[in-house]
Amino acid sequence: MLQLFADGLIQGAMVSLGAIGLTLTYSILRFANFTQGELVTGGAYAALMALAGFAGTAQRAGTFAGLSFGWPMLVALLLAMLATGGLALTIEWLLFGRLRRHGSAITLVIASFGASLALRNLIAFGFGPQPQYFSRDLQIAIPIMPGVRLTPDQLFLVGVTAALVAALHFFLTRTTLGRAMRATAENPALAMLIGIDVRAVVRWTWLVGGALAAVAGVFLGLTVQVRPSMGFDLLLPLFAAAILGGIGNPYGAVLGGLLIGLAESLSVPWVGSEYRQAVGFLVMLAALLWRPQGLLGERA
Amino acid sequence: MSAGPTLAVDALVAGYEPDLPIVRNASLHVEAAEIVALLGPNGAGKSTLVKAVAGLVPVSAGTVRFEGRDITGRPAHRLIGEGLAFVPQTENIFTKLTVAENLALAGHRLGRRLRERVDAVFALFPDLARQRGLGAGRLSGGQRQMLACARALIVEPRLLMLDEPSAGLAPVMVAQLFAKLREVRAAGITILLVEQNVKAALALADRGYLLVDGRPRLSGPAVAMASDPALAGLYLGSAA
Amino acid sequence: MDGYIAYGVFFLTVASIYALVCLGLNLQWGATGLFNVGVAGFFAVGAYATAILTCPDFPGQVGGFSLPVPVGWLGALLAGGLAALLVGLPTLRLRDDYLAISTFGIAIVIQLVALNFQPLTGGALGINFIPRPLAAWFSDAGRYGIFYLAVVAAIVSAAYWALERLVRSPWGRVLRAIREDEAAAAALGKSPAVFRLQAFVLGSMLMGLAGGLHASFYGFISPADFQPILTFQAWTMLVLGGSGNNRGALVGAVAVWALWSASGALLHAVLPADLQVRGAALQIVLIGVVLAAALLFRPRGLIGEEPIVSRHARL
Repeated sequence: MLQLFADGLIQGAMVSLGAIGLTLTYSILRFANFTQGELVTGGAYAALMALAGFAGTAQRAGTFAGLSFGWPMLVALLLAMLATGGLALTIEWLLFGRLRRHGSAITLVIASFGASLALRNLIAFGFGPQPQYFSRDLQIAIPIMPGVRLTPDQLFLVGVTAALVAALHFFLTRTTLGRAMRATAENPALAMLIGIDVRAVVRWTWLVGGALAAVAGVFLGLTVQVRPSMGFDLLLPLFAAAILGGIGNPYGAVLGGLLIGLAESLSVPWVGSEYRQAVGFLVMLAALLWRPQGLLGERA
Repeated sequence: MSAGPTLAVDALVAGYEPDLPIVRNASLHVEAAEIVALLGPNGAGKSTLVKAVAGLVPVSAGTVRFEGRDITGRPAHRLIGEGLAFVPQTENIFTKLTVAENLALAGHRLGRRLRERVDAVFALFPDLARQRGLGAGRLSGGQRQMLACARALIVEPRLLMLDEPSAGLAPVMVAQLFAKLREVRAAGITILLVEQNVKAALALADRGYLLVDGRPRLSGPAVAMASDPALAGLYLGSAA
Repeated sequence: MDGYIAYGVFFLTVASIYALVCLGLNLQWGATGLFNVGVAGFFAVGAYATAILTCPDFPGQVGGFSLPVPVGWLGALLAGGLAALLVGLPTLRLRDDYLAISTFGIAIVIQLVALNFQPLTGGALGINFIPRPLAAWFSDAGRYGIFYLAVVAAIVSAAYWALERLVRSPWGRVLRAIREDEAAAAALGKSPAVFRLQAFVLGSMLMGLAGGLHASFYGFISPADFQPILTFQAWTMLVLGGSGNNRGALVGAVAVWALWSASGALLHAVLPADLQVRGAALQIVLIGVVLAAALLFRPRGLIGEEPIVSRHARL
């Protein structure tokens, strides 16, 4: 039982990271971005490419104690974050930004659905549909406490997620850009009135959201595998987390992500792991029907 | 300080849809350190007029001059830098930020002066100072309006425009708010306010304009307007 | 020549099945403003319903009713409607993009069930040997193809005719009224929720029926036939054909299916042998780009509604 709990937290951490960008762009730009999953996938593949790039160095660098990777992976992660932030900005520039000037939210959703399909299949075309891995080494799960075993990679994941969330909190509450993001997520028109360059805030939101999605992708790739549909399979839980936590609230996204991860994990004994996504979906539906503003949102 | 009016609106035509103007050929002016009230029945276009000045509603004809400079159609986010601040009627604060964060964000371009300005604004609104760490969503209606004014004042605007600041407030709160506006004017800031509460508005203002069907039909010193029978007539639509 | 005719018949048959899906989607979106991103799910429900009802008995699998194919198709229609009823009751009152996410989720859940609920759906292997109607009457595959096309075309024509009449009927007028001004329609005593549900169910019935026609046509279905690409193809057809418009649905179906087939053939010819299998992925990229371009260069977007944030906040 505790093991399921721990597994749920691990899964939840990744959903949280992916959901933060989703919830922010959803509330600032008022549309459901179906390409968020592909940002996760893109991050993982970008890291793979970066690692392939320093193939020789990776061999020589060795790994950190207990973990399946060494310095090259951390560099690859940073590069992936940058690349994915850039990918998000590119999609915004090519597609969403232009559509916003002429179309409605529905147009944007359809376009994002199409862009997600295109990206996913572009990756499948370029890298092939077969799963890939960051490391071929098997990790042994070590007992953390009675009844709970986790691999060192998973522990690292939890630690980094916690650190990122703390950094995010500092960013959102102590920096002008962070406050501007929260303000714009609540009321873009008012933000403009007080002189905030909302267009710049939008760009930064894509960058930050994309970078965090990349971390989720790399973690997912580390703990499970890298394949073209990895982010798409996460999309429903991402939406569920964002909605459950309250659209526009990054803390809600974190909370929602953890809860969705837990719900999926704890339901496995009853429902079987094949139907995990269905559980997240049901939680989301329940939230939409009974508390549409989300757990941390206020009634509109 | 320029010699002319702080705000001069000339033959303004504005509306959300270009073929459906709400403001029709409206002209008015506001002199430095004056308080001017914009009155009128619902749908007369008074909110739309200030929003057009504030860059929130498209202008199809006419001009808006601020301190002699043409600012017609200037986008909203540039005006705060020009010295013009607007307080909308609703959704005028960020409920998800604290009082202090609302003010800090409004003053994000002040750099080192932010501290001093926040102190000045808190001195004007001591109630807010006591709640500085509170989430703005938890403030009462009256306090929210105070915060909305405070954040507009943080950048030391020379013109403050307010859209129905008394809406939804209890009379005692309205009196408090309007007393604050008097203090603001005493500091040399020009005020243009749109109001439904005719009595309170004319008691506060120096001059007033009555808008009917998109343009001013009556104007003059507030005292004179308050006792003008034509005012009631135009409000209730009996006069042409 | 025979080969071309056979291909033409195949092409038109598939295009017609898609056209039926688009007619259903047009009723939901064009006439009622419902944003259904789970089209593939309703199509799948219909397909599996027909398969289960018409197939002979297989060990370890629910079904084996061996009912006549038209009954199977009726079952597909009803299954699509039932699924829509179950989905629609809780979700239709949600605003646009939440409805989109919910229907998207439904389609995923339906796919999960199709993939994993082996006794009912045959799991990943799907259902085989789905009988074709009146197959025994025709000895010639070519002639049978023409017969099947005639059947599908007749069904699509009937649906088109019925929908056109429906849109011009009092019911259709209420639907338009609800779309334009919900409060006014409600004030006249018409319950918007009921009308929206009716439109949603009817549209999904058509999608289900299309799924049934698909199942009987190919004789074999598996979860791989009901991926999100299908939803996307239906939307592309509707957008390119001119949404809000039954004729547009038909035109769009043929046009996009032609585009899809042509791009497939092109890639097949152009790609080296080792990339052939991956070519399908590139086909999807192409169609994605086509839709994006269509949306970008249509000046009023899908319907030309108000900008999102506010008219005054130009992001």
